[in-house]
Order: sequence, then C-alpha cells, then structure tokens
Amino acid sequence: MKYLEISKIYIKSQLVWRADVVFQVLFTVTKILFAYLLWGIIFNDRTEVAGFSFQSMLSYYVISSFLSQIEMSDGISSEISQRIRSGTFSKYIVIPIDIQKYFIAMEVGVVAYYGIFQFMAAFVWVIIFRIQFVVSHNPIIILCAFLLVVLGLLFMVQLNYYLGLLALKYQEIGTFLMIKNNLVAFITGSIVPLMLLPEGIVSVMKLFPFYYVTYLPSMLFIGQLESEAVPGLVIIFIWCVMLQVLIHVTWGSYRRKYDGVGI
Amino acid sequence: MNIIETEMLTKRFRRYKKQAGIAGSVKGLIKRDYEEITSVSELDLNIKEGEFVGLIGPNGAGKTTLVKMLTGIIAPTSGKVSVMGYYPNDLKNDFKQQYAVVMGQKSQLFFDLTVEDTLRLFKEIYGIPEAKYQSAKNFFIKLFHVEELMNVQVRTMSLGERMKMELIVALLHNPRVLFLDEPTIGLDSVASKQIRGFLREINEVKGTTIILTSHYMEDIKALCSRSVVINHGSKIYDGNTEQLFERYQKHKKISLTFDAPMELPEIGFGVSMISETPYKKVMKVSREKASELLSFLMKFNPSDISVEEEDIGTIVERIYGEEGSSPDEIS
Repeated sequence: MKYLEISKIYIKSQLVWRADVVFQVLFTVTKILFAYLLWGIIFNDRTEVAGFSFQSMLSYYVISSFLSQIEMSDGISSEISQRIRSGTFSKYIVIPIDIQKYFIAMEVGVVAYYGIFQFMAAFVWVIIFRIQFVVSHNPIIILCAFLLVVLGLLFMVQLNYYLGLLALKYQEIGTFLMIKNNLVAFITGSIVPLMLLPEGIVSVMKLFPFYYVTYLPSMLFIGQLESEAVPGLVIIFIWCVMLQVLIHVTWGSYRRKYDGVGI
Repeated sequence: MNIIETEMLTKRFRRYKKQAGIAGSVKGLIKRDYEEITSVSELDLNIKEGEFVGLIGPNGAGKTTLVKMLTGIIAPTSGKVSVMGYYPNDLKNDFKQQYAVVMGQKSQLFFDLTVEDTLRLFKEIYGIPEAKYQSAKNFFIKLFHVEELMNVQVRTMSLGERMKMELIVALLHNPRVLFLDEPTIGLDSVASKQIRGFLREINEVKGTTIILTSHYMEDIKALCSRSVVINHGSKIYDGNTEQLFERYQKHKKISLTFDAPMELPEIGFGVSMISETPYKKVMKVSREKASELLSFLMKFNPSDISVEEEDIGTIVERIYGEEGSSPDEIS
C-alpha cells in the first residue's frame, strides 16, 4: 500500500501544473503531425520503404514515440545525485521504505500520468488522420511486447538508480549520464535508424538491453520481428537481474560513504 | 532504562584541501591533499526514555553529526552506538518506524501539494490504521492551530507554518524518539515560542524522548532539563540545564530602541556598552542586575526593548576558561 500511495502522490504532483499538461499534449500532437507530413511526402511516389508500408511506418512511429516519451527515468539519477551532493538524500534514508522501490513507485506514478495523456493525444490523431493502425494479430506476441515494455522500463529505472548511487563515491556523475544517454540514443535507433545499419552491428546491439526498451516492443506491436520476442524477453530479464545484483552490491559498499553534508 | 547509548563514538571525515586559482585546480587533477576532520570524538552518552535533552554547541561543534549517527544517516568511524537496541546504520525499517527526525533545512513535505497529501503518504509509509491516523491528525491540528492550512499548497506557507507541518508529519506515527536539529532556525520569536510550547506538550503528554540540537539558548533553557554541551566533537558538559546557565551564563544583553535621539546619563549597574547610536543602545549587564537595570531604563520610554541570553560560544569559552578541566569533572 505504501508504494501505491507513493505512485499516487507523484501523479498528484504532476497534476498541479496545468500548463505542463497542455504542452505535453501539444508536443505529442506536433510530433505525430510532423511524422504524418514527412512520411506522407516520402511515400508519395512509392508504396514501401525498407519493408514498411505507409500505414505500418506511421503505426511504428506512433507506438515508438509513445514508448520513448513515457520512459522518463532520467529524473531518477539526477534526483539521487543532486540530493546526495546537497546532503538531502537523508530524507529517503530516515523513513521506513526500500529506497529503490520508492523510486520505482515514483516512476510508475509519472509514467501513469504522462502515459494517459500521451495515449489520449495519440489516439485522437490516429482517428483524425484515419491511420489504419497495423497491429499484430498474435496475442502471444502482444503479450511479449507488453512484458518487454514493462521489463524495459524497469531496466531503465534500475540503470538510472544505479547511476544515481554512483554519486555516493564520485559525487559528480555527469559523464556517466552522458555516456548512457549517447548509448541509449544510438542503440534505440534515435541517431541512425537501426534498419540502415549493417547486420553485424545490429547483432551486437541486440546483446544490449536498450534495443528492447522501445525498438523491439514497437516492432512486435506492428507484427514485425516476431521471432525475436522470446530471446528478447530472456536477454532483458538477464540484464534486469544482473543490474539488481550490481545495485545491491553498490549500495552495500557505498552507503557508508554518504556524509549527509551539503545544506 | 536507557533508550540511547553511545560509547567512545567517533566520526572522522576526510576533506579535500583545494588550492585556490586555476593552477591549484590543475594541480588537484594530478595530486590531491586531504585533511582529516574529527567531527565527533570518543563521545559517551546515555539518554533515558522520556528525557528532553538539549545538545548545544557552537557551529561546527559536531551536534548535527552526532544526530546523523544516532539516526543511521551516516556510519560512525569507531565506537559503539545503540538507539532503542538497534545499531542505527543497519537502517532496519523496524528501527526507522520508531523514531522521527526533523532537520531545519531538510524537508519531508511535497511543496507543490498540500500537507494533507503528505500526511496521507506518511500514514501508508508507517502503516498507521485509519482511526489512529484521524485521531493523531486531529490532535496535532488542534495543538498547532493549523485547521485552515491543511488544504493549502506547502510552497505558499511561511517558514514558521512549514516548520509546524514538518513536526506534524514527523510526529504522526507517534515515535518513541524525536530528533530535532535546529527546528527554530530562521523563525521569528513568536513562531519559535509556539514551536517550543508544542514540543513541551509532546514530551509531557506523549512521553516522547526528545533530543534537541540548537545554538539558541532560549530553546534549551525553555525546554531541556538536561543539557549536553559539545565543542570540537567532545562533550564538555553533561548535566542539569539550570545549573549550566547558573554557573556559566553570567551576563545578559539588553537592546533599547528609541523613537527620538536619546542621550543616556551615566547608568551604573556595572553596565558595559556594546554599541551606541542616538536611536539604539546595546549593553551587557550581569544577570543579577538585569531586572534592576531594566526598571531603571524604562524611565527613558524606549519604543522597543529586548533581552538576550549570552550565546553558546561565550558559554563554551567560559567552561574552558573557568574549569580548565575534563568533561567528567565538569558534569
């Protein structure tokens, strides 16, 4: 119950700011509008690009941008590192909670809030543009995609929590965050679309967890790369377990370094 | 029964000594010099259940570091510590369930939300049943007179109002021990007085053991029957608060403000003038002669008058100066 209440309080915190809600919706709408226009031009004189039809490309875009927008765990590493540096991390230490679960619950609250608005905005635009949403008809693949989304979001929370904890030893973790952000951007295909990369490089990327955070679930939802569903679940699950062990060891050895000095 | 026990408790920090300027910054990349600071040194302390103890000392004396060790926030370097039978830095939830800590500048409140929202969260975190929660909440709302503030965004509250709310959040689960680190810092005298009144009542009515750190003499004098004076991480006095002030607080500072320029005649009473302008006079007088002097000064119709206790720094100096002895001899 305590973690549910933590999720609720973060939903309430998000709801305080009306302008933020409006701009988030506008941002989603603008992205979808832009994608519609861009891909409309590209598909004007052809019916297929890299194996995607116009409708499946738009479906992929709507789903992947929805998933990447609800992945907001970045805030966890900055919250933890800033509080460790300022000495206010104590506020989590003195209350009877598991600190990592607190941050997972916080993320659930934030994702629930933004997810609802992003979903509504995406849904309205799918209706307005009459996008014939291409979705897999295989319920097992849909289930795998949902599980991948959950494990992917969990992994990102774990990763950002772990990076935040590094502030106990290194104080300044800006470089770690920069490396993580570039790695995530590259492997999730934000810098170069994965379909344009040589197969060998993509195979290596598949060993990293980021491939399974937004890219693979989006492809599964639109009925592509179905053969990768089960291996993907296994790989991301192994990453989650490994990271959990790393968090446990890191917290155990670094927490004694916390000096609570700052303010 | 002792609820807090420490033996030879010590905390040392390592601090990077950075040289100023670009050259010093570059040098720091290659080789760093560190210095070791002892914040708390071989401190023995026993506190009984229900006591209201003042931890006093000048800034940097080690009071806050001691509280951080007692609450488990930081780990001791050496020595023994037991709070309610637990080693605090094990950070067991059963232990954290039984105490609360309020640090003047570290808030548990959600600034964008109302206090009611934070209280709901803490009800769940501490697993307080609904009936108990309602009764505790109503008790504190009445005690602190904050009915009208429960549905107000915290960020819009004054410092004094916020501190009352911090105390309500901390006390909601009826902790056995309450640690207060500078709870009246930055508050005006009215708010400080109110907070002191609430704390006294909590100690008396609920039997909560309270450890109060402050460098405001008024807080300690008004609340704590026992005082522990800490300086440079060591205990230099542990005993009755009244005796501490009787023995070491020898003067009072009196400030007078006038609406028109005022030239005071020769005052006497052994007064030493600290500062003097046509509109304001600040003077120091021995405790025994303070009330006599005040009666005399009232004849000049000051528009404002304030009487302050000597600060902790002066008392610490006097303990060292007069005794020149070990803490055990003093206590």
